[in-house]
Amino acid sequence: MTRAGLIYLLALATLITTVPVFGLVTDLSNKRIEIRYSFNGAELILFGAVGSSAVDPVNDIFDVVVVVRGPESATIVRRKDRVGAIWINDASLHFPAAPGYYAVAASRPLKDIALPSVFASYGIGFDNLPLIAKSEKGLFEPDPEFRAALFRLRAAEGLYRQEIDSVALVAEGLFRTDVHLPANVPVGEFLVETFVFQEGSLKARNRIRLTVDKEGFERAVYDFAHGYPLWYGLVAVLIALVAGWLAGVRGKK
Amino acid sequence: MPLYLPIAEISMDIFVVIAMGGIVGFLSGMFGVGGGFLMTPILIFAGVPPVVAVASQSNVITAASVSGALAHWRRQGIDIKMGLVLIAGGAVGSYFGAQAFSYLKSLGQVDLMISLVYVLFLGSIGGLMFWESLRAILRQNSGQVAPKTRREDRHKAWVYALPFKMRFRKSKLYISAILPLLIGVFVGVLSAIMGVGGGFIMIPAMIYILGMPTNVVVGTSLFQIIFVTALTTIFHSVNTQTVDIFLAALLLIGAVVGAQFGARVGFKIKGEYLRALLALLVLLVCVKMGVGLVVTPEELYSLAEVPSAGASH
Repeated sequence: MTRAGLIYLLALATLITTVPVFGLVTDLSNKRIEIRYSFNGAELILFGAVGSSAVDPVNDIFDVVVVVRGPESATIVRRKDRVGAIWINDASLHFPAAPGYYAVAASRPLKDIALPSVFASYGIGFDNLPLIAKSEKGLFEPDPEFRAALFRLRAAEGLYRQEIDSVALVAEGLFRTDVHLPANVPVGEFLVETFVFQEGSLKARNRIRLTVDKEGFERAVYDFAHGYPLWYGLVAVLIALVAGWLAGVRGKK
Repeated sequence: MPLYLPIAEISMDIFVVIAMGGIVGFLSGMFGVGGGFLMTPILIFAGVPPVVAVASQSNVITAASVSGALAHWRRQGIDIKMGLVLIAGGAVGSYFGAQAFSYLKSLGQVDLMISLVYVLFLGSIGGLMFWESLRAILRQNSGQVAPKTRREDRHKAWVYALPFKMRFRKSKLYISAILPLLIGVFVGVLSAIMGVGGGFIMIPAMIYILGMPTNVVVGTSLFQIIFVTALTTIFHSVNTQTVDIFLAALLLIGAVVGAQFGARVGFKIKGEYLRALLALLVLLVCVKMGVGLVVTPEELYSLAEVPSAGASH
């Protein structure tokens, strides 16, 4: 065995031993969300169980934090400034990869579960998301005001949710939480991560995937619009011409 | 009943969308304007992304204009020859307008430009129209007969001196083709930039600059709008893929029906009252836009999706 391989194995072994084995199983009520004509957002249930291997869940208090993260896309945040008498888009900041959906649910307020530094080390919470801004000069740490604006605007659209949803601890180490996906949810791969904390430190974590995709007629229209834009435009015009003509002919009677 | 719109990527109530189309269609049939200057703010207010609103409603205006133009066609209210000259200019204008639109969009200044152009043109045209129609109404109420202008006096000397004269029988005009062509270009540019049909600019231009008789103005304007908005729809489909057929279809169901009723109501109202009403509507939108520019916004920040590399041109 090579030296590097040995170090890797050792590191792996330490990792396993330092994070106590705390049996954690989670599942979603639906792992594939299909956007069809009647889609008006989706409500999912995430449920899970904490095993009894290391800690007795009945007697020992534990906390659960669930983070749902949607696909990332490039986003520009612009700020208006007063120029003369009118307000004009002035400064702007380019985030090459901002999550299109981000939700944090917890069994208690985050500040009661662990120290902020703990959440920071695992990237839990919007403030701990590794967001980077980009300009022609390169990558840099974004202005906190723009970062806050991104969160505020996405939160207003129901796409960022933090400290809104709670995880219900049912009994015997069972827990559940609702995942709210609004109608304007971005399409793509989602990651649902569950963290179990006890006495301020992480005891277990796991992740499952969730897919949101357009299906059926909605998918076909979307593909047509992007695959054959000229024909799509011509069809749109044809529909308009026929509809207008039909209404005009009917209107005569 | 909610319906998910695949391009706009939001869910909207079917009946609300149809009703919005109906209101705009009614106004469009009544005044002979496409109604775009009302549709864009309404759709954006309802939560449709602005780019999708502008692109999809141009498709709706096509349908509403066909329906309205048919009604005018039956009462011989379209000057086809004049319409074709305007369309030729409009095609050129909308091409260059669209280029400007894309450029400003990349700078993030397209909203500002739309607002400024709206305020400038809606304000000046609405103001002029309102003043003119008010004078006509007052004159009529006081029993005065409007001074009848002879046909030769309808034009200023410079209009009459231009070359390439064409005879427009329907409009009872013998004028240079350059003038309607230039008006077509100008309206084409504005319609691409503002995402509207351009009727509210076209109609005053036809009346006050070309001196067309009012009975063919509305029909000819609608005829021209059909073609310019059809071009705009195809242009937006190719460039930004932001035309939502579902949204457009629902809106146009309302719009085509509304346009029929609107056209009937429009025939019954005297021309000067109709113009005064349209002028008030135009001024209302202008004031709203103007206030939006000056008042300190509640939210200074805004988000924009960065188009993928393939769609950025």
